[in-house]
Amino acid sequence: MSSDFYTISILPYSGIIIKICRAYTNSQEDFEDYYQEVCLQIWRSKDNFKQQSEWSTWIYRLSLNVCLTLLKKKKNNKQHQTSDYLPPEAVEDSRVFSDESLNQLYSAIRQLSEIDRGVILLYLEEKTYQEIADIIGTNPNNIGVRIKRIKERLKKILA
Amino acid sequence: MEKSIEAIWKEGFINNDALIAPKINDLYNQKSIDIVDKFRRMYRINIIGIVLFAVIILPINIAVKIPYMGIPMFFLFLFIAFFAVKFKNKLDKIDKNLNSYQYLKTFDNWTKEMILFNTKLSRFLYPFVFLSLVAGFWFGGFGGNIPGQDVVDQLLMNYPDMLMVFGTPLFVILGLIFGVAFLAYFGGRIGKWDLNLGYGRILRRLDTLLKDMEELRASN
Repeated sequence: MSSDFYTISILPYSGIIIKICRAYTNSQEDFEDYYQEVCLQIWRSKDNFKQQSEWSTWIYRLSLNVCLTLLKKKKNNKQHQTSDYLPPEAVEDSRVFSDESLNQLYSAIRQLSEIDRGVILLYLEEKTYQEIADIIGTNPNNIGVRIKRIKERLKKILA
Repeated sequence: MEKSIEAIWKEGFINNDALIAPKINDLYNQKSIDIVDKFRRMYRINIIGIVLFAVIILPINIAVKIPYMGIPMFFLFLFIAFFAVKFKNKLDKIDKNLNSYQYLKTFDNWTKEMILFNTKLSRFLYPFVFLSLVAGFWFGGFGGNIPGQDVVDQLLMNYPDMLMVFGTPLFVILGLIFGVAFLAYFGGRIGKWDLNLGYGRILRRLDTLLKDMEELRASN
């Protein structure tokens, strides 16, 4: 991956990748692994970008897919290695943001199912229902109801 | 008043320290170690399989009265296992402290050496297996009748003018020569195909990874 590609095509969108990777990891080490893997996959798949969507939307989709795949792989590996595997949401996050409310919100998001995490992240990033449905690969009609349920769940966790 | 999650999200990311991108370094470190470890595990299982096969095939072949097949096969598989262990020891000696590229490059050289050796070995291995099979069914069990000779006697009764060379029908000898020549010629390819069945996927991943890394190194 050329440093030019990283600087021009990834770094300006690193916020998206960071926000998503944070929601799927519990430690700085895992976060950096996920971040690097997402960057690598963006670089590898860049020729598949069809310009039917925004580059940023494509990065959202790819980041989510990579995080979900890595999480699945990690779960499988851990289940093979040990029977007392704890899901990521059950492990305390070793990182902190300077904003305490944001820490709590992330902690609550990590307690959601993997797909719900993606949905709420996209909602918080002000994506339209149609965009969320396109990225997640679901029906836009269900997104509103789902977001409502997720927000209620988050409120309960944060209360 | 309690803040909404939308507000927490927006305000939380106003502070730039929440969005500091990690440095892209050691991108391939874990990948390199994973791929070699996976290969090592597969190779070890393969060696155990070869030894088990050698140990099992001998008594089975003796029990079903084809020891002339079982004995050479037993030694053949032990011979293969011996060289596989030698290669495994070499693989274990690859220094994990090398950087990712050198580590993978060393592993790649090891796989090339192993494939070359196996390809050469396969040119002898498959003809040897073929001859062992023929010997097993031709000579039968220790003592007693020789099944191959019984077939020849039967054939001679039906075709008394059959061409014979040292007491064996010419077509049998020609068939053997053709079989051995065919397997010696194509043994290398069969060996490569066999290796590809077991390790093809992981070797292709190694190729992709090395290409990525070489491109990365070239663009820096």
